[in-house]
Amino acid sequence: MNCRSEVLEVTVEARQVEEAMLALLHTILLHRSSGKFHYKKEGTYSIGTVGTLDIDCDFIDFTFVRVSSEELDRVIRKAVSEFKDALSSDGMGQISLEFYQKKKSRWPFSDECIPWEVWSIKVNVVNLANEQERQICREKVGEKLGEKVINVVEVINRHEYLPKMPTQSDVDNVFDTSLKDVQPYLYKITYQITDSLGTSVSTTMRRLIKDTLAL
Amino acid sequence: MAHFDTEYQRLEASYSDSPPGEENLLMHVPEGAKSQWHHIENLDLFFQRVYNLHQKNGFTCMLLGEIFELVQLLFVVGFTVFLANCVDYDILFANKFVNHTDSSKVTLPDAFLPVDVCSARIRENAFVIFVLIISGVFWLHRLVKFIYNVCCYWEIRSFYINALKMTMSELPYATWQEVQARIVEIQKEHQICIHKKELTELDIYHRILRFKNYMVAMVNKSLLPVRFRLPGLGESVFYTRGLKYNFELIFFWGPGSLFENEWSLKSEYKRGGNRLELADKLASRILWIGIANLLLCPVILVWQILYAFFSYTEVIKREPGSLGARCWSLYGRCYLRHFNELDHELMSRLSKGYKPASKYMNCFLSPLLTVVAKNVAFFAGSLLAVLIALTIYDEDVLSVEHVLSSITLLGVCITVCRSFIPDKHMVFCPEQLLRVILAHIHYMPDHWQGNAHRYETRDQFSQLFQYKAVFILEELISPVVTPIILIFCLRRKSLEIIDFFRNFTVEVIGVGDTCSFAQMDIRQHGHPAWMSAGKTEASIYQQAEDGKTELSLMHFAITNPQWQPPQETTHFISQLKERVHREATSDTHPLSLSESEPRSLIANLLVGPSTLTSIHFGGDSSLTNHAAAGSSDGASALRSLSPISSSLHLRGSLSAAHRAPGHTSTMSKAMAGSGTDARTVSSGSSVWEGQLTSLVLSEYASTEMSIHALYMHELHKQQSRGELSRHTWHRQDSDESSDSIPDEVRSEPNPHSRHFPRSHTFPTTVPSPSAIPTSASAISGTTFGQEGASSHSSSQQRYSGSTTDSFSAGGQVVRSARGVPMGGWAEDGQAAPRHHDTLPEESSEDDMPPHIHKIT
Repeated sequence: MNCRSEVLEVTVEARQVEEAMLALLHTILLHRSSGKFHYKKEGTYSIGTVGTLDIDCDFIDFTFVRVSSEELDRVIRKAVSEFKDALSSDGMGQISLEFYQKKKSRWPFSDECIPWEVWSIKVNVVNLANEQERQICREKVGEKLGEKVINVVEVINRHEYLPKMPTQSDVDNVFDTSLKDVQPYLYKITYQITDSLGTSVSTTMRRLIKDTLAL
Repeated sequence: MAHFDTEYQRLEASYSDSPPGEENLLMHVPEGAKSQWHHIENLDLFFQRVYNLHQKNGFTCMLLGEIFELVQLLFVVGFTVFLANCVDYDILFANKFVNHTDSSKVTLPDAFLPVDVCSARIRENAFVIFVLIISGVFWLHRLVKFIYNVCCYWEIRSFYINALKMTMSELPYATWQEVQARIVEIQKEHQICIHKKELTELDIYHRILRFKNYMVAMVNKSLLPVRFRLPGLGESVFYTRGLKYNFELIFFWGPGSLFENEWSLKSEYKRGGNRLELADKLASRILWIGIANLLLCPVILVWQILYAFFSYTEVIKREPGSLGARCWSLYGRCYLRHFNELDHELMSRLSKGYKPASKYMNCFLSPLLTVVAKNVAFFAGSLLAVLIALTIYDEDVLSVEHVLSSITLLGVCITVCRSFIPDKHMVFCPEQLLRVILAHIHYMPDHWQGNAHRYETRDQFSQLFQYKAVFILEELISPVVTPIILIFCLRRKSLEIIDFFRNFTVEVIGVGDTCSFAQMDIRQHGHPAWMSAGKTEASIYQQAEDGKTELSLMHFAITNPQWQPPQETTHFISQLKERVHREATSDTHPLSLSESEPRSLIANLLVGPSTLTSIHFGGDSSLTNHAAAGSSDGASALRSLSPISSSLHLRGSLSAAHRAPGHTSTMSKAMAGSGTDARTVSSGSSVWEGQLTSLVLSEYASTEMSIHALYMHELHKQQSRGELSRHTWHRQDSDESSDSIPDEVRSEPNPHSRHFPRSHTFPTTVPSPSAIPTSASAISGTTFGQEGASSHSSSQQRYSGSTTDSFSAGGQVVRSARGVPMGGWAEDGQAAPRHHDTLPEESSEDDMPPHIHKIT
């Protein structure tokens, strides 16, 4: 609960799913990434630069900006294509991008991952009958995505909680330092097909155990 | 593309990311790792633990307490088994002689059976093994829980020490309000909650009490099946820990419960669309849980017996009288609890009310029993006297068989009898006692007032305040009764439950889904008969019963003076405070306090209810006489409720203190003055908070709340009576209609008028409401009394879904209205349901008053 959650909803055609998702995820990640930190002595650091790249979509009249990091792009693309494959040609799905930070805990417990911001993108896939409709859809989706991007920027511009800048030892708890050229906040991409929102058995069991243990 | 010839050339110099000159400018200093307390994942649990640790007086106390509990448990089980199986009682009772030749004395180890015999005996006894296994499992469960808790609370301990800057040794002496103030303080620095810059007190309360608030609201709206009409026993309440556990399991956290996690209701339950489906699902889940309960019944039963045995035998042994003592029942705790009231606040309130409450119950000793007890005590006493006299003469009498035991038995017999003999010096004044009780417990169905001396009232009060023995007995039969209640009663209510959770859940940013009643919003849940007339927009379905919203609001505002309520709420609070203040000060004014006719409400609070009629319905000389007589009692009543009020006199900070000596001529004046003092001091507490510690503040707060509660109840009574004669049609279907009985009626011998159904939580059957002569509501005459009654019963039926209906006409209204869904969220998608959307049938009833005429 102790995290912000933002929901974006888009309605697209099946072939547009991948690009639309990439556009939104990359837009968010662009604002949630920073250059690599170079720690110096006396506990200070300097931040490296991040390049940006304009990407034109093939199936949508839309251009978005992403971090010019091939590695990051590869990771995102992989997640999105998995989502796209799982999504049937005419159905609902939700992909969420969750930013979290790790909290070290003592021995018997594993490290906690505590999310602080979750972006859920709900996708509604439609089938279109003819080329003319597709053409209209192409423009419409482009406009919609533009709105969403503005939306994202508005949310990000609010002065809200962000994890504090870490010291060198903690940097792995806040940022994803596995990439060479860019350093986004720790994130996780998950997806869900259809909106069966029932809690899974495992979470229920975990809660049951936790509750019996609780005072 | 890459081969254009341009002037632009790649710089050969080796450069890092930032230009050489700026390296020093672009240095950053990391700020992390200063605190580990920012952004806590599960704030609900976190705050609960912070609260628990505070209540348990710090980490060490908690640790030691838990360790000893574990050891104790082990000891009790082991010792019981040992006593049952490994002792040769024949040797102890000297029925069998030990073949010791060297010494004539029997030693204790002689009575022990050898280990192999002992273990063989245990192994043969299946029941003992069963008990041992269950207690073993229980103990292991406790052990694991203990270890888990130690780990969790260690973290909380370091939170207290590092973030809140409180050591464990000073924790027992810090009030919760102080701890809370620090939490609010450090939120600014650490951002425990990431949604808001600042936490409010209400946020913390909401998180700690999220589910409890739901339970309170459900009891308030009579949603939970805890009242039963049993043949022979009359109406009774059955609400045990086991039942409560099951309710919570079903609603809040069990598998497939309505809540997704601690803080959010599942989204499908927020939509009204498929409520019937969801209700079916819930019903079948309740059925399954009921069946599981039924299957596990023997295990739980043994568990309960063991538990009761372990927890109570020691107490009973130590003081046998404690079984006769009473305690606040579980239902009472739910019924009397304010929204957003923490455990310790409730407990301190109820503990203060304990003495007057037990006094009140003692007023009702059965005269028949008294006669019997007196005589039994006489005979037993004479036997005892003879035996004791003989013993004193020659102590060899003691060695005669069973003399010692008969002395003990006779002693116990006399003690028991004595408890049935009323105190010679006790005065029968239930009305005033009830008033003092009300000052502490803050809630009371309206029909109790003026009927305090009646047995029905006593019986109903005993539902809140039951014998401890009954409490234990109920706990013991609970495993058998719980599945029956779940399967047959709760299952029927599944639709209402679904509707309740949908209509009364709001999502608050930074808190999650909470019960909307707990927002204490007068506009949405106020009851027009409880001072929020004109401010409230709630339909009857949305109104909290018994003025719960208003009283809770006052309670919360008084206990948390720093809390900044929303605009309208502030207005309400300040208005009420001002009114109480005005009434109080006008009372201390020497001129207005003419003894014959006290004008102010505070004076009435002290004097008793009977004078109220004299104020608003013209001075009745006989009643004012009564008032003068009762004033001293009332004064002592208030004194007992606020022992600090006299000390407040001494503070000399208020001019009232100077005036007080001048008024000591009459008791009531002085007490009224001191009452004012207490109140003004405490209401000025926000100004003083720098000087006063919060402990002192909270003491004042409880007195202030008592006075406000009394005032509100009094005003409620007047208001609802006055309102009736003013607008006869508008509010007839609200349940204040039963208030239409003015006080004069109460003095009439008609028994029907006495227990008129007043509140949803205390529905009583009224054999024939048409028999009520309503002299005050002369405008509408007798018919109105009927309307009020029948429409009231209809509203009660609709929402509490009680199966009994004594009004067939009312029942018809219900059935026509019942089909309409109360889907607040379904239609408009608003978080806060508006009453027109929610309850279309309400307006239709409002618009057509003659409609009810036809029915009656």
